[in-house]
Amino acid sequence: MGESHAYDVLVVGGGATGAGVLRDLARRGLRTLLVERGDYGTGTTGRYHGLLHSGGRYVAKDALAARECIAENRILRRIAPASIEDTGGYFVATPADPDDYVDGFQAACIAADVDCEEIPVAEALRREPALNPGIRRVFKLPDGSVEPWQLIESNIADARAHGSDAWSYQRLVGLERDADRIVAATLHDERSGSLTRVTTRFVVSCAGAWAGQIAAMVDVTVTMHPGKGTMLIYNQRMTDTVINRCHKSSDGDIMVPVHTVAILGTTEQRVEDPDVYEITRDEVAALIREGEKLFPDLGKMRLLRAYAGVRPLYQPPAEATEAALKDGRQISRAHTVLDHGPRDGVENFVTIVGGKLTTFRRMAEDTVDTVCAKLGVTEPCTTADEILPNQVPGKTYWLGHRLADHEAEGGGDANLLCECEFVTRPMLDSFLDGHPGCSLDDVRRGTRLGMGPCQGGFCTFRVAGVVGERAGHAGAADVAELADRAILGFLRERFKGTRPIAAGRQLQEQWMISGVYEGCLGVESLIEREAPEVSREVVGAQR
Amino acid sequence: MPSADVVVIGAGLAGLTAAIAAAESGARVLVLAKGHAATHWGPGGIDVAGIPAASTPRDGIHRLAGLPGHPYAFLGDDVAAALEWIRPHLAAEGVDYAGDLDTPHQLVPTSIGGTRRAAILPAGQAAALSPWAAGERLVICGIAGFKDFWPEAIAASLTRERIWEGGNRPASVTPVSVALPGLAARHNLNALQIARRFDDPAWRTTAIEALARAIASVPGSGGRVALPAVLGIREHAAVLAAARDRFPAAPFEMPLVPPSLPGMRLYAALRAALIRAGGRVQIGEMIERVEHDGRRVTAVVAAAAARTYTVRTGALVIATGGIAGGGLVAERDGRLTEPLLGLPVEAPPADQWLAVDAFDPAGHPLEKAGIRTDAELRPVAADGASLFDNVRVAGSLLAGHRYIRERCGDGVALTSGRRAARSLTAVPAGHAAEPGSE
Repeated sequence: MGESHAYDVLVVGGGATGAGVLRDLARRGLRTLLVERGDYGTGTTGRYHGLLHSGGRYVAKDALAARECIAENRILRRIAPASIEDTGGYFVATPADPDDYVDGFQAACIAADVDCEEIPVAEALRREPALNPGIRRVFKLPDGSVEPWQLIESNIADARAHGSDAWSYQRLVGLERDADRIVAATLHDERSGSLTRVTTRFVVSCAGAWAGQIAAMVDVTVTMHPGKGTMLIYNQRMTDTVINRCHKSSDGDIMVPVHTVAILGTTEQRVEDPDVYEITRDEVAALIREGEKLFPDLGKMRLLRAYAGVRPLYQPPAEATEAALKDGRQISRAHTVLDHGPRDGVENFVTIVGGKLTTFRRMAEDTVDTVCAKLGVTEPCTTADEILPNQVPGKTYWLGHRLADHEAEGGGDANLLCECEFVTRPMLDSFLDGHPGCSLDDVRRGTRLGMGPCQGGFCTFRVAGVVGERAGHAGAADVAELADRAILGFLRERFKGTRPIAAGRQLQEQWMISGVYEGCLGVESLIEREAPEVSREVVGAQR
Repeated sequence: MPSADVVVIGAGLAGLTAAIAAAESGARVLVLAKGHAATHWGPGGIDVAGIPAASTPRDGIHRLAGLPGHPYAFLGDDVAAALEWIRPHLAAEGVDYAGDLDTPHQLVPTSIGGTRRAAILPAGQAAALSPWAAGERLVICGIAGFKDFWPEAIAASLTRERIWEGGNRPASVTPVSVALPGLAARHNLNALQIARRFDDPAWRTTAIEALARAIASVPGSGGRVALPAVLGIREHAAVLAAARDRFPAAPFEMPLVPPSLPGMRLYAALRAALIRAGGRVQIGEMIERVEHDGRRVTAVVAAAAARTYTVRTGALVIATGGIAGGGLVAERDGRLTEPLLGLPVEAPPADQWLAVDAFDPAGHPLEKAGIRTDAELRPVAADGASLFDNVRVAGSLLAGHRYIRERCGDGVALTSGRRAARSLTAVPAGHAAEPGSE
């Protein structure tokens, strides 16, 4: 066991919720530590469709969730504009959607305070010509897309500025309980294997779908109902506007333009273990069939990959009916703060469950209000009032900004490593400088390298080369192993995403890339067949 | 209406080989292709049977021929003849190959610091084919600012024994990087752009001197030096000769990510050989349909340049490649189709296409998918009956082989292309060649 650390509050889970809770606690004067088992935003936060909800998807069934969404939508635009692309959203009535839902939609929006304007179908088709020309009505709502990783980084930066800390790749492996209180936690460093003990006055679990596992460490039962949502990434933005079907939310009824690609969501399927699930070809085919009602040519467009996230759905035991558990869409998207004092006899432990990315700040506020009440802290919440660090008021994200910034600096030869996403060598160097010991996945999330249409086929080995060059200059001994992990890890990850969608032009592309890497570059010779599994594909030289 | 004795669809190694062989026998040949083929992303060698168990290509052919359904079962005996036949065609265009079926496979270092098995390589890579002598060094020489070749990472990787499967390897691997004239501040150059610079004699002289000085600055002497495959395109032979003359170590090229210069040189030589033999190539032709009258194909209809182009033909060679080339299309409903004639495709069911791990040592079942033919390369139905009289299938479209993983794709393409053409032109072609009639 390494040295011991002491914090007022320990936050478990580095998704958007955990980062929001960390920031809020820090701003109220509580010295807090956030711990995350992997990199930040790699659980559900990094595996959703990218939608900044207007609330329109919930107005008919879950007015409370809709109200929270629109309120937070307005706040996030103010405090985190750089993380948001203001795409706007259309709710379109296709011939398949029932009239009564469509007819009541606008009134339901107004009742929930969600801005909603009906626009002529012709106007919508002019802006989004790939839409089904058979759509009957179109409503315009303030949906957008949101970049989760940048949002998390901003929250953590603000917390650090207020004297708190966040540690990634630290897995919580044990909680010490003394009668009705938790007194300390044990953390396992996922890269070095060392253990650290942290003493604390309070523990907040923001582990989402994994909350049951954390609670079990102090013999508390939190029964989550993890709901798998599968999404498909297309190689282009066939729409610049978020498109929703105007009907009761269902599978394959939303398309979100995110950076250079577009994401079709989602499915809803209960899973037992949030770490173990599979995406099937049937699921993919069903999603595309539904998506074709919005975009008739979807079946001909190129898919890049399929992925899935696990929703942190929670239903209080009394309301957990058979029907609700079978159909996760019946479980409320609203959030719940579980105070384990009165509930379970652990006085300094709360868990936040449910909710959605759009409302993460509100979830954090409600959670921290509970914590502060218990700790006797009276500072009010200020997270809705102040803009986050590294953000410029009113300046939302714009797809063309990297090129525009480059041109503003004189243009010319940009030293591009990733052509699809405009990632330059200086951008990569600066990220690697700021994130010692990071993995290639971290580089991807931090810079968007490899996330565009070629999915890393032409840039991954360049990153391996840069890493090799930097590590070589720094005299690191394991340069080659670092580069191997970058290349093999990328190819495996890419293959995993392609496997359930293997067909058509994406399979053709996959075959060509593996042909290049295997046939021309001999990638299989890098594989150490007998070697033990490496827990993380770390590419940054350790310091 | 334009007409040909033989239309070949596909301009990869199989298609161009078939076209050259058919043109040689006097047929009027037209190659139609929608674009460039695997030559442009391959390493430019002739991989015949580079499987780990095989000591030489000939041994590999024998082993692969014994696998169920492998095309070498009926093509294997012909590989040597096909290889000896194509060599002079390529040599006449200035592209020479080292090695033959009895050259022991050597592990050749690659531009990501791995190795691959090879025995027959173009002159620019030939120096990689001999075993490493005791104490012999390898220098990895990169070009400053060129982002598809990273000498430090390559050298660090090649220093490891396991990359060479624990066997013969260089005593040391040392990286060095050189700024080439006028390129020091350029970052977005691809291999082709640098190769074109090398074609210019004046620039070449300065660049070769700069490279020679940098290589000489590395401690040690002799040995070999690996460079990115950018040493000229049209003037490659001259660039290579200058490098051999000036460098203090024997130079060889490492193929890169596309565009692959060694592959492009091979393509250019095949194309020139075909034109010399009287054939024609049209790239950019999307085939709309193939017309047939019962068991005989009669015409090919292509769409390009805003018009429909119909060629009447006496025979057809389909060399459209496998999944990567678009010769096989994987439908979303799990079927595999051959889009030109709807030929039956031999393939595993969709849920067994791909293994769970990308690098499963057993490979992916889908790799063996393709069109089943008889020994004359006529496509056949499941019961073995041939489907068309004047159609042949060649190259990676053939069922039963893993053209990348078994490193046999070039051998299969070359041998099947030549045999397909010979099988077609053995029947009276109907027309003699009419040079100049195009």
